[in-house]
Amino acid sequence: MGRIYRRICFLRFEGRGAEATQIELTELKEAVDAARRESPSGPEADSILKRLLEEEGERVADAVAFAEAIMPYLPDHLAAARPAVSPSASGAPMLQKAGPRPAGDPRTVADFIEDMLAQDRPRAR
Amino acid sequence: MTSATLEKPATAAPSLAPSAQANRPAGPKAACLLMGLDLGTNKSCVLAGSPGSSDITVSKVVPSVVGYVKDGIVDGIITGNAKVLFGEEALRQMLHVELAVPLAEGVISHPEAARDFMLHLRQLADPSGRSEIRAVVGVPANAGEQAREAIRRAATGIFSHILLIPEPFLAALGYRDDARVRQPGYVDPVVNSLFIDIGGGTSDLCLVQGYFPTRDDQISIPFAGDAIDALIFDGLNRTYPNNGLSLITVREIKEAHAYVGPSRKPLEVKVVIGGKSRTLELGDAIGNACNALIDKIYPALTTLIASASSDSVVTLLQNIIVTGGGSQIRGIDTVLQKKLADEGYESPKVRLAGQDFQRYVAMGALKAARAARENQWQVLLG
Repeated sequence: MGRIYRRICFLRFEGRGAEATQIELTELKEAVDAARRESPSGPEADSILKRLLEEEGERVADAVAFAEAIMPYLPDHLAAARPAVSPSASGAPMLQKAGPRPAGDPRTVADFIEDMLAQDRPRAR
Repeated sequence: MTSATLEKPATAAPSLAPSAQANRPAGPKAACLLMGLDLGTNKSCVLAGSPGSSDITVSKVVPSVVGYVKDGIVDGIITGNAKVLFGEEALRQMLHVELAVPLAEGVISHPEAARDFMLHLRQLADPSGRSEIRAVVGVPANAGEQAREAIRRAATGIFSHILLIPEPFLAALGYRDDARVRQPGYVDPVVNSLFIDIGGGTSDLCLVQGYFPTRDDQISIPFAGDAIDALIFDGLNRTYPNNGLSLITVREIKEAHAYVGPSRKPLEVKVVIGGKSRTLELGDAIGNACNALIDKIYPALTTLIASASSDSVVTLLQNIIVTGGGSQIRGIDTVLQKKLADEGYESPKVRLAGQDFQRYVAMGALKAARAARENQWQVLLG
């Protein structure tokens, strides 16, 4: 249930309220109903659920705040820390490495994928 | 943070069957194999190849169906006394299995069957079961997070890494002739085109204009091959009550005779009903059902055309491409083109993707797998 609620919180942070509501009305409702059915006491179950959801909401808020705090430092850190993808680690041939696209080059398929992932990332608030 | 490491679901994914565990990607020294996967409602396509090469080592189209063998089947009826059959084999043994369809309207509707089916596709690509598999999987345009999560869950423990990309874009990528991209006169479909991918569950339209399509560039309509089957089935039952033909037979009839445009009569189809051969007149039933598809996709087509910039729209109109199983409907290109021309669009040209219509999404997926940067893959923690 915690996982479902975290997903709802993330979706709301991303501004995807409709999807969040959809999950809330389906998956979360089912999970809450199941938890209530298994609990011997209704008020006690409600209290536990309320606390759980509050905690999960706080966890997401903390995680987002943390991510925002470290975001400006990540590019430099990753550039310094990122090793070339090591095929030797997996015995696999080299996969294409991350790297900026030189100016003037036509867009590569990886650039398109980057566009797609950027669309899926949390929007700046 | 582009590298997504997926959280292990709190509710554990269905436990792998022993065979699945045996086929799990091996340890860190396993070779890497890339897969392009088009999970279709009716048919799926899997292509596989090594990173760092353009070779395709596996290319298969498999009906998206899983057959769970019924209890009490006599030994030897099913080859190897298998408990689960897939694709054509499951359909051949229809009498002896419970058929399960993993997807409906392009998204997973039967998680257990989807997981078994993915495992089967993995085994087709990597019979040894020793490779680390990275898969790019096509998803319908505008697929929501729930649909994407269902695919990730089904794939957990089967693939090591995954990347989900909308199918119409993959179709454009697959359709692109990479050898001609820099040749003068070649119109790169990835730079300016409009793809209409008509599958079993959904018809997806997508504007591809040199950047990754946004949500506004894609329209997914839950009306495609299956809906046409249902309409033909209804029409057939109205005209010939109690005919006893199954939806599977109706689909076969559609695949042989589907058309759009003015009524084509006589369209006589021979069938066997109750053991006797009969000839049915199906011109109206098939035509009405297929023309309903045009009524659904044409408004979406003009909506996307209207959203293209004035600088690009003239070239775009020359590059409208129909793919997927629906591209086999006779006349679909000419009917769409004529409707556009009749409404005053400037020299529209609608083309069919061609004989590889079942493979373009998977081809695009394999190209994407080969091009993806390490930090773009999502790691599946099994």
